[in-house]
Amino acid sequence: MLETVVQAVINGLLIGGIYALVSIGVTLIFGVVKIVNFAQGEFVMIGMYITFFLFSTFGIDPLLSLFISMPVLFVAGALVQHYLIRRVLGPNDMPQIFLTFALSLLLLNLSLLLFTANYRTVHTFYSDEALHLGGLYIPVAKLIAFGVAMALSGALWVFLHTTDLGKAMRAASQKPDVAVLMGINPNRVFAVAFGAALALAGAAGSLLMPFYSAYPFVGQVFVLMAFVAVVLGTLGNVVGALVASLMMGVAESLGIQFIGADSGQIVVFAMLLLTLAFKPSGLGGGRVR
Amino acid sequence: MSSPLKTGALVVLAIVMLALPQVVTSSFAVDIFIRILLFSFIGVAWNLMGGYAKQLSLGHAAYFGLGAYTSTIMQIDFGISPWIGMVAGGAVAAVASLPIGWLCFRLRGPYFTIATIATAQALMLIFLKFRDFAWGAEGTTIPNLGSSPLYLQFETKASYYYVVLGLLVLALFITHKIEKSWMGYYLVAIGEDEDAAEAVGVNAPKVKRDIYMISAFLTALAGTFYTQYIYFIDPATAFSFSISIEAALVSIVGGIGTLWGPVIGTVLLETTSALLQSWLGSSTGGIQLTVYALILMAVILWRPTGLMGWVNEAMQRHRERQPARPRTAP
Repeated sequence: MLETVVQAVINGLLIGGIYALVSIGVTLIFGVVKIVNFAQGEFVMIGMYITFFLFSTFGIDPLLSLFISMPVLFVAGALVQHYLIRRVLGPNDMPQIFLTFALSLLLLNLSLLLFTANYRTVHTFYSDEALHLGGLYIPVAKLIAFGVAMALSGALWVFLHTTDLGKAMRAASQKPDVAVLMGINPNRVFAVAFGAALALAGAAGSLLMPFYSAYPFVGQVFVLMAFVAVVLGTLGNVVGALVASLMMGVAESLGIQFIGADSGQIVVFAMLLLTLAFKPSGLGGGRVR
Repeated sequence: MSSPLKTGALVVLAIVMLALPQVVTSSFAVDIFIRILLFSFIGVAWNLMGGYAKQLSLGHAAYFGLGAYTSTIMQIDFGISPWIGMVAGGAVAAVASLPIGWLCFRLRGPYFTIATIATAQALMLIFLKFRDFAWGAEGTTIPNLGSSPLYLQFETKASYYYVVLGLLVLALFITHKIEKSWMGYYLVAIGEDEDAAEAVGVNAPKVKRDIYMISAFLTALAGTFYTQYIYFIDPATAFSFSISIEAALVSIVGGIGTLWGPVIGTVLLETTSALLQSWLGSSTGGIQLTVYALILMAVILWRPTGLMGWVNEAMQRHRERQPARPRTAP
């Protein structure tokens, strides 16, 4: 019994690392640019397809393709911010919500047209490998994904707290008007934040590929999880999003283990509803907006 | 537009709409008309809350599905006519909107939108799980009773057309009444700036709750109608995310917070979709929503007030060129 619980917790933590990459991106964009990117999941999907095609065409290992998917999505993010998002920033919610929503709809359906609804998988030499610790079973691909995800999250935290650009980003997120007065160029900061968030989504895509299938709707799985984690971890809070994502992964995994295979989503929704009912400001406290 | 002119235009429109299925008898065309009227109706219902109060829900499929399931369960298990089931479904949806709204209205802006998506998805999961009372994932067909208008079943598509036309007229009438009432002004005030509206004494939580109930009630009627029209129900159709999307989409493209916006938006989008299907065939999955997404992006970037905003601007310019200005638009 205890072993089953520990195993479920480990499975949850491992996938929670991937959720964290997606939710940190969502919360970073929300904190700095003050919009919710409904298309974040679709950028995970694009990261997965990039990784898949690099593997199937050139035989590049998914882990190496991190060095391609992340820069590509960083540039894509900066361009999306500069040419689309920048035009709808302001007090009005409607254009912001529906612009990123339209982007999500567009990317999803374009990939359906271009790549069909087929599931694409990548099989690497470590895809089936696993560590056996006592009675516990730890798949290597998931462990690597978790490790890289945590390293990237840590790198982002260091970037936000030690570099000038990172500090400028935090300043712009806390007091946008004052930040501008201090000579911070908001457009540059926004473009970098959006780019960094999408690079994380791309990384999630590459890391998922050795053990998860790519298909046009795959982003929806992760984005819903990320939205709940971001609410749970207090909007705009990077560390909160990370902790909440790991919790969600564990909750989902325990739900699958003890309630039933298709109950993962129900657990997630239950967590969202409970959060909204009892602690709408999220676990980190702070203001709801 | 002067008032007699407006009345005249409405009379002409009414005659055209009533005569349409008599003149155009191709069942393919009438089917498209029914889709246009149905999604106009859902759009008008969405627009009451999403357009006027700017509470941008992407979860109206929840009420569509509740309406559809209520009337179907009542008909199959208890033999009650879907006409009664339709109203009962509306009541169920209105009651359900209370706890759902209580939860979702705790969040504002985009996170309200996400919470509504989640509630609709959660309802779909519930109906997928509990097969004892709602047939689970397989769904069920509606018993075909032949021609029985008392059970909302007709032999000709034209009859369905008139039913859904009636629904649309009802929703437009309600919207018109609300637009002209205190509630309409409260809604617009909340949509502009909720904190400011509360500061001047608008009871925002109550107004939002009330309009959400009305919007949910109307959306549920569409669910019953649609199920009766296609003779089939399952959670994936009844709680389909694409219904939530289309409800919002037609309103935004047509003109958010305007009486006729959702209707105009639906005419544009559904016509585009029908044309695409006849050119490319229905086999190309994804093309319809790709085009919808492009239209939506174009509207948001270049015409955020939608097609109605464009029409109003043109009329405004026309009016300004005349010497005596009648009255400024509200």
